[in-house]
Amino acid sequence: MWALLSRLLGSAAVLVAVSLVLFALIHANPVSPARVVLGNDASEEDIAQFDADNGLDRPVAEQYLAWASRSLRGEFGRSLVDDTSISRTIAQTMPVTVELVLWAFLLALVLAIPLGIVSALHEDRWVDHLARALATVGVSIPGFWLGLMLIAWGAVGLGWFPAGGYVPWTEGALPHLRSMVLPAMALGLYYVAIISRMTRSAVADVMMADHVRVSRAMGLGRGRIMVYILRNALSPIVTVAAMSFGYMFGWALIVEQVFTLPGMSRALLNAIFRRDYIVILDVVLIITAFFLAANIVADLLYRLLDPRIAE
Amino acid sequence: MSAALRSLLRRPAGAAGAAIVAAVALVALAAPLLAPHDPLALDLARKLRPPGPGHWLGTDQTGRDVLSRLIWGARPSLAVGLLAVVIGTLGGVTLGVTAAMARGWWEAVAMRGMDALASIPLLIWAIAIVGIIGVGPVPLGPFQLPNESKIVLLVGVLYMPPLARVAHGGALLEARADYVQARRLQGAGTLPIMLGDVLPNCLSPVVVQATLLIAVGIVVEASLSFVGLGVEPPAPSWGGMLADARRYIFSGEWWTYLFPGLAISITVIGFNLLGDALRDTLDPRKASGTVRVVA
Repeated sequence: MWALLSRLLGSAAVLVAVSLVLFALIHANPVSPARVVLGNDASEEDIAQFDADNGLDRPVAEQYLAWASRSLRGEFGRSLVDDTSISRTIAQTMPVTVELVLWAFLLALVLAIPLGIVSALHEDRWVDHLARALATVGVSIPGFWLGLMLIAWGAVGLGWFPAGGYVPWTEGALPHLRSMVLPAMALGLYYVAIISRMTRSAVADVMMADHVRVSRAMGLGRGRIMVYILRNALSPIVTVAAMSFGYMFGWALIVEQVFTLPGMSRALLNAIFRRDYIVILDVVLIITAFFLAANIVADLLYRLLDPRIAE
Repeated sequence: MSAALRSLLRRPAGAAGAAIVAAVALVALAAPLLAPHDPLALDLARKLRPPGPGHWLGTDQTGRDVLSRLIWGARPSLAVGLLAVVIGTLGGVTLGVTAAMARGWWEAVAMRGMDALASIPLLIWAIAIVGIIGVGPVPLGPFQLPNESKIVLLVGVLYMPPLARVAHGGALLEARADYVQARRLQGAGTLPIMLGDVLPNCLSPVVVQATLLIAVGIVVEASLSFVGLGVEPPAPSWGGMLADARRYIFSGEWWTYLFPGLAISITVIGFNLLGDALRDTLDPRKASGTVRVVA
C-alpha cells in the first residue's frame, strides 16, 4: 500500500518535473508562436499584441502556473495557432491511438505467450531455435518499415486491406476492423518478440525449480504441472507486458504516420510543424502519463502475483 | 578478454553478429571509397531505374544512386546509435558505481534520479524535443552540429538509467567481495579501489546492455528521420530514404523501399545477435536478468 502511494507520488513528481522542462525549453526557443501564426511580415506591434492577447508577455513562472492550474482542472485550453479547443482535438485523436495500441497489444499477447511456452517446453529443439530466431528478427525490424512492407503485401499486392486511412465504426464493423489489421501487425510484431522471449525464459526458469521436479517425481499429470509452472512464471511476463503497453504509445505515433491514421501523431506532428507549443506540451504529457500509469500497473501486478516482492 | 572473445566468436550467433557489425562499421568508415556514385548527385534522366549495371540497387525519384545513398546512410545510423550509448554509459556507469561505493544520501539521490528518468518514454520525448527546438543544425562555436545531435543527446541521457542500474548492481556485489575487503585492509584508498577493482569487474553486464541499446538507438534515428525530425534531407539516411519511397509502394518501384529497410534490419539484427551472444559468454549465470531492453 505504501509502495503504491510512493509510486503515485513519484509519478506525479515526474510529471511536474517533465512539464517544467518542456516549458523551459519552449521559452528558451527564440521563435515566438506569433511569428508562425501571423507570418514573417507581421510588425513588432502585431506580435506584441498577439503575445499580450495570449498571455505570452507575462513572466514564465506565471504562465506555467496558469497552464498548470488549468490542466489540473482538466481543461487543456485552446490552440495558439487556430484557436481550436485542445480538449476536442485530443478527444478526436486519442481513441484512434488507444484502439491501435489495444489491438497491437492483444495481438502480441495472443501470439507471444503460446510461442514462448512452446519454445520453453522444447528447449534447444528445432521449434525453440525457430522461435528464438523469429524473436531476434522481430525485435530488429523497425515497425514503420514493417508497415510499408505490409502495405505492399496486404494492400497493394493482395488487396485484402486498405493501404491506410481510418474507417470509423459507424461505417460498419468489418471495414473498420480491416483498416486496423495492418497497423496492429506493424506495431505488435516487436512486442510479440519481446514478450515471447520473456515468456520462454520465465517458463524455462520455473521448469528447473525444485517444486516442479518434485511434482514430476510424484507423478502429477502434465496438465497439472503446466498450471503450476504458468502460475509461477506469470509475474515477469505480466511485468514486461505492462511495460510494453506503455512503450507502445510512443511507437504507435510512427505507425500512425505510415498508415495515415488520424491519431495523436497527427495532432502532435501538426503542432510541431506549426510550433503550436501548448498542443505539443499537452500531447506529450498525456502520453507520458499513460506510460507512467502502465509502469505503476506493472509494478502492482508484480506485487500481487508474487507476494514475496512486497516485503 | 581474448578468451572471452574466442568463446564469443565460437558461437554461431556471436560470430554472425560480430561479422555484421564489423561490415557495417567498415562500410560507414569507407563510404567515400565504396560508394560508386555521389549520393547527392541528381540525374533526372535516369530516375526510378530498376537495379541493373551502373546502378546495382537502382535509382530513386531524382535519379540518385540507391546503393551509394545506402552506403553513406550507414554513417548517421551508427553515429547516433554509438554516440548515444557512449553518453549513456559514461553518465550511467559513473552514477551507478559512485552510488554503490558511497552509499548513503548520494546513492539515494542518484538512483532515485535514475528511476525518475526511466519513467520518461524514449520515442515520444525524442519527437517532442526535436519538435520544440525545431529541425535544423545546432551551432556550437565554430562548428555546425547536424540535427541528429539533439537525438544523440536526448537518447544518451535516457539511456543512463538502465546502464546505471546494472553498473550499480554489479558494483554493490564487488564492493562487498572478499578481495576488495582485503585491498581495503592493505590500506588502499577508495578511489584506487573504485577505479582499479570495482569498475573493471562490474563492466560485463554494462557491455551487454550497451550493445543492445545501440540497436534501439539505430531504430529511433531511422524512425525520426522517417517522420522528418531526424537527418535533414538531402543528406542520405535510411529512414529518410524510406520516407521518400513511400509513394512508390503503389507504383511498384520496390527497390526504393526494400533495400533501406533491409539495411536497417540487418544492422539491428547484428547488434542484437552480438548483445545476446555477449550476455551468454560474459554472464552465463544471467545474474543481470534476462531480456531487460524494452523500448
